Amino acid sequence: MMRILVWLLPLAIVVAGCGRSPAPTSTALDSSSPEFAALMQEGERAEGDWVIANLPAEMSSLNPFTSSDAYSTLVLNEVFDSLLKLHPETMEFLPELATDWEISEDHLTYRFTLRPDAVFHDGVPVTAADVKFSFDTAMDPTVDAPHLRNYLQDIESVELVDDSTVEFTMTKPYFRHLLVLGLIDIIPAHIYGEGNFNQHPNNRRPIGSGPYKFSSWETGQQLELIRNEDYWGERPALERRIYRIITNPDAALQVLQQGNMDYMPLLPEQWQRRASNPQFEAQFHKLKYARASYSYIGWNMRRPQFEDKRVRQALTMLLDRESIREEIYYGLATVTSGSFFVEEPEYNPNIQPWPYDPERARELLAEAGWTDSTGNGRLDKDGVEFEFELMITNDNPMGEQIATLFQESLQTVGIRMRIRQLEWQAFLQDVKSHNYDSSMLGWSLAPYPDPYQLWHSSQAVVNGSNSVGFIHEEADQIIEAGRLEFDQEKRIAMYHRFHEILHEEQPYTFMFSPMALAAVDKRFRGIKTYPFGLQLSEWWVPADLHRYP
Amino acid sequence: MIPTFLGISVLTFLLIQMAPGSPVYTRLAGIDGLGVGDHDSAAIIEQTMALYGLDKPIHVQYWEWLKRLVFLDFGDSFKDHRPVLTRIGEALPVTLQLNLISIFLAYLIAIPLGVFSATHPRTWTDSSITLLLFILYSLPSFWVAMLLIFYFSGGDYFNWFPAHGISSLGARDMTLWQWTIDRAWHFVLPVICLTYASFAALSRYMRSGMIEVIKQDYIRMARAYGFSERVVIFRYALRNSLIPIITLIGTLLPALIGGSVIIEQIFTVPGMGRLMFEAILGRDYPMVMGGVVISAFLTLIGLLISDILYAFVDPRIQHR
Repeated sequence: MMRILVWLLPLAIVVAGCGRSPAPTSTALDSSSPEFAALMQEGERAEGDWVIANLPAEMSSLNPFTSSDAYSTLVLNEVFDSLLKLHPETMEFLPELATDWEISEDHLTYRFTLRPDAVFHDGVPVTAADVKFSFDTAMDPTVDAPHLRNYLQDIESVELVDDSTVEFTMTKPYFRHLLVLGLIDIIPAHIYGEGNFNQHPNNRRPIGSGPYKFSSWETGQQLELIRNEDYWGERPALERRIYRIITNPDAALQVLQQGNMDYMPLLPEQWQRRASNPQFEAQFHKLKYARASYSYIGWNMRRPQFEDKRVRQALTMLLDRESIREEIYYGLATVTSGSFFVEEPEYNPNIQPWPYDPERARELLAEAGWTDSTGNGRLDKDGVEFEFELMITNDNPMGEQIATLFQESLQTVGIRMRIRQLEWQAFLQDVKSHNYDSSMLGWSLAPYPDPYQLWHSSQAVVNGSNSVGFIHEEADQIIEAGRLEFDQEKRIAMYHRFHEILHEEQPYTFMFSPMALAAVDKRFRGIKTYPFGLQLSEWWVPADLHRYP
Repeated sequence: MIPTFLGISVLTFLLIQMAPGSPVYTRLAGIDGLGVGDHDSAAIIEQTMALYGLDKPIHVQYWEWLKRLVFLDFGDSFKDHRPVLTRIGEALPVTLQLNLISIFLAYLIAIPLGVFSATHPRTWTDSSITLLLFILYSLPSFWVAMLLIFYFSGGDYFNWFPAHGISSLGARDMTLWQWTIDRAWHFVLPVICLTYASFAALSRYMRSGMIEVIKQDYIRMARAYGFSERVVIFRYALRNSLIPIITLIGTLLPALIGGSVIIEQIFTVPGMGRLMFEAILGRDYPMVMGGVVISAFLTLIGLLISDILYAFVDPRIQHR
């Protein structure tokens, strides 16, 4: 049900208008407080009522393999099941369509036993043949799912053992195999097996085995799911889910305030201003939780200015991340020191982000040979002045503000930074071909991280994700060993060391892990915030507060 | 007409493919970051290129596209693999409804206003109309749109009009009459935004056209014959001064289907503007080409219509 196969995806850093305003005193409950948790248990769990949520953009289509945008994923999670699911809090594997799974000693064969009682929305039982069909389809080169196939390349074969048992043979052992095999959506062979998969008529009215059934989709307007009354597992309490597509966040907030919507994500500015008054707080709970993503400035280490790690450390020390967090993010972000998610065990909590320290930065730059030898107020080395370009995406006011502050700060020590704004595609092209000095970007993160894609030396090639060209022998060894380490505790210890290396080397200036913010109507109970998002299927409304039939 | 059309399509085909980025990388980047650099992923990229038909040389791609176009097959969108025509078929009616209403209103207001200004030149009413129109014309539409939403869609003020979308919940079950009312109600704010600047400009054209005509000898002649001012203005002057306005219709038609990215984004209107904007950002080549072909076609039709209207208002212009 949870489709978080993804390791990483680039984010244009959260777009939001900003300004400065004093924090108003708030009387609302903090969503991480025990009082909030207690309130969420109050009353008796009742079935019924609907939830109307906001989608800030329309999903591309509703095919579990060919759609790759965040919003289709959100909807498809409810309609399809996978073999396993992850516990939202502890991230341990739990049975979903599979009741049981066995992994061979050599970590090459994975055998899943299916539950007998699961049926698709049209009443046909889920069998091992559907599982095999799902994987065969996702791996088919004529199916437009290149983003998924990347993860499935290690599958050597998918065999049917009997009607309810399926066995996967992998070409090599890897600790993430269970995640990949367990979390792919299982689709019915009798529906999707006919016709052209990419253009299948059910791509706009999906049929799965999940807790919600697809009901309707009006292009550009709204999408409706209804509860699957015959679900094999625990039925969610809410009878209907309506997603209203509203592309303008200010209009969405107004619709929310009129009571025509129950749930929407908030921008930091909305959280701070329009949603910070007693009237709003009487009507809505404001949820705030860590979001599994971070932003950074990447230093292209192929450029002579950025070869020396002392220079990269100095540059980090010249970015006043603490004030930016306060002023631009209204405090709704965490400063990070590495590439793992702050809330996850892989993140080494003993490492403190480099402080803002222009004096120390000056010393480091001098040690690296950058001094003002000509007396013109600019740093130089071997007759070359220190200057570079910072590439940021367009339509990114927060990034612009950060870049401008950084520019001023660098100016004071004698470094000239130019800011270049680029459209997303052009930006990606330059990053992939290493045609840039430095770039500001973000990554979103997934559970059970593997630093291979971003930091292994083999990925420091054109089109590879290690676009900064980070090449470090010990890091390579840790990454390679980590991929074969099946004991999570041991792997975490290795990654803590890896985190230290990253911190020391500063291939990126790691910036912020912004908070996810949301507003939910107060009639809902059972709301919990998790590191990888909210679980609307746990929500319910006490019978006397039901709003919809 | 055909050479013009071919020129437009070749140029667009080249330009969109030359733009940095590629739909295949977008696809991979959508979830997989910047793509993975090892050998196996290169195979995946190649397979996807082949799937999208991008593995062939560009002139072959163009030729195949053109051949399909003859049978009105615009190909399939890379985004969701639906036919380009189906997607345009969903967005175009919305944009047409919106823009037809707004153009109709713009002319409806602009012509009398222009005539009034022209027949009362240099009076204080003319000056204040001029000033007002100038202010209207200068207001950025995104700002006006946000203000309208804020004041008239249930912010802290009036809750008169919906802030987003084109129909209410349950519009599918409405009768035609209810549906029309509902649609109109949703269109009020976007139509205001689309209309105010264009009628401001149009009425200026109307005013100057009219002033030009009033100075003509035949108008002086008509007055000398003792026709009433009403007859002079509406019977003789108006028809002739419509010519510049009609020229504008030709250019308005493509703008009609182009939609407005900004207004559609602010009001969540699923129209052509957003469709094309997203297609360009996502490098959805068939979709972009489809949009260009249709607007090129409509531009040509627009020119034809204005030619026909010329003949209608000006008997000197006739088909031979």
